[in-house]
Amino acid sequence: MFQNRAEALALALPAAIFAATVFLVPVVILLSDGFRAPAGGWTISAYTDFFSNPLNQAVFLRTLRLGALVTIASAVIGYAAAFAIVSLEPGAKGKVTGLVVLPLMISPVARTYAWIVILGRTGIVNQAFQALGITEAPLRILFSETAIFIGLLQLFLPLMIISLISALENMPKDAIPAARVLGANWFQVFWKVVLPLTKEGLVIGGTLVFTGSLTAYITPAILGGSKVLMLETLLYQQVAVSNNFVAASVIAFILIVMSFAANILLKRVATARNKQRSPQ
Amino acid sequence: MTARSLFIPITLLLVIAFLIGPFLIIVAASFSAGETLAFPPQGFSLRWIAKVFTVESFRASFGMSLFLAIGGTAAALVLGIPASYALSRYKLPGAEIVRTVVSAPIIVPGIIVGLALLRYIVVPFQVGITLALFLAHTALVLPYAVRVVSASLDNLRSDIEEAAVLLGSSRLGAFFRVVMPNIRGGIMSAFILGFVTSFNQVPVSLFLSGPGVRTLPVDMIAYMEIVFDPSVAALSSLLAFLSIGIVFIAERFLGFSRYV
Repeated sequence: MFQNRAEALALALPAAIFAATVFLVPVVILLSDGFRAPAGGWTISAYTDFFSNPLNQAVFLRTLRLGALVTIASAVIGYAAAFAIVSLEPGAKGKVTGLVVLPLMISPVARTYAWIVILGRTGIVNQAFQALGITEAPLRILFSETAIFIGLLQLFLPLMIISLISALENMPKDAIPAARVLGANWFQVFWKVVLPLTKEGLVIGGTLVFTGSLTAYITPAILGGSKVLMLETLLYQQVAVSNNFVAASVIAFILIVMSFAANILLKRVATARNKQRSPQ
Repeated sequence: MTARSLFIPITLLLVIAFLIGPFLIIVAASFSAGETLAFPPQGFSLRWIAKVFTVESFRASFGMSLFLAIGGTAAALVLGIPASYALSRYKLPGAEIVRTVVSAPIIVPGIIVGLALLRYIVVPFQVGITLALFLAHTALVLPYAVRVVSASLDNLRSDIEEAAVLLGSSRLGAFFRVVMPNIRGGIMSAFILGFVTSFNQVPVSLFLSGPGVRTLPVDMIAYMEIVFDPSVAALSSLLAFLSIGIVFIAERFLGFSRYV
């Protein structure tokens, strides 16, 4: 540890000042716009206006719903996948983990675009459904919540799997056999042994998936079209189409509050369960 | 027992198919000879791959994205390396505040950063779009630069540079001759991570575009809304192979994944 304060500040301040001017100050001003009354002073009328519009309510609820559904689905699939990967031999484990991580390197635009080919009117899913006689006319899957759900799940599932792999690897090796010997069935093993021992990984993965889904732009923009909006695409429309900067500020504030709330809530959940378990 | 031994391969097959399959379909579709985007591809040709290179806006936006990814990441490292060094080696007053401010751009959604920059920097100070994009991408990469460089500094024992100083080297000389060679892998990894992050970034650049000034992914989204031919698929495949190639080489020579 060096003690020279002036030197330390000279090294650290350029980065801090840069981030503050380019990022922090503009964002804070932007957020304050939504609370400013036209005649001067402060008000929350922009927020009551925003939430009294049924269209905005629908977008807000859809964003929360998709965030929650994608997080739950990725947790369920993530546990199955992480279990399977952890049980592989070391060599195969590395290769399969590589395949799981690979999509993270590919542009989200490319990854989302692929779903147009798969879910579109003449896409693979509709071709298969019609060939099998499940449907007669092509289903409208694209530009719906289902399409956004699938796109988001594919985008964020790797983050959940990676978090759960490292959590499962840090679990004591004999925990599961011990529980089995003592008579627990597989459901009890998961619920009473695996879940408590891996919940930190689940919380980290869950936070990444949930906040990622809430604040996704590319997926709803490509797979939701101009009708099925999420908060980010609504924000874009408010600025680009309606020139409504107050509404944009309101949405920005809601997005930031939701991301922070998710982070804090999930941390609470983790620590609360810890306390509950410690006296035993 | 058979049910359990089947569980592993089937789960892996389904998950990998879900994660990688769409990408393979895009690659296949980009070799199509047909006029519209479809799978299975109609015939085989390289015409769409060739077309990517002839679209004027793709060439311009690719150049812009490349400039932002290289320039923005380099700028973020120039700011981030000294800051990381101060955070890891000095008793810095307000260290927590500096850390929070520097890593904040990662927490706030990019679309908000872009809009705030447009409204309160670009418009009032008459900043050009290219400069604004450069500032935005630098701010975006800064948290990654600080995180990765800090991690490799923390793994390096600080007494070797103290020894260099005791032996008569200046602090600066000790940094360049002792510390830098030892964190080179971390810096290269931070550069690659920053490059890929900046290159693939969309929301921050959405509002920051002007006549003829656009990043490649934003341009691709705009193009696919108008034209439904396989050229975006071809471009996506090319970009994907480019970034997979970069990461693969980085892993081979730097052990990239140790730092990220």
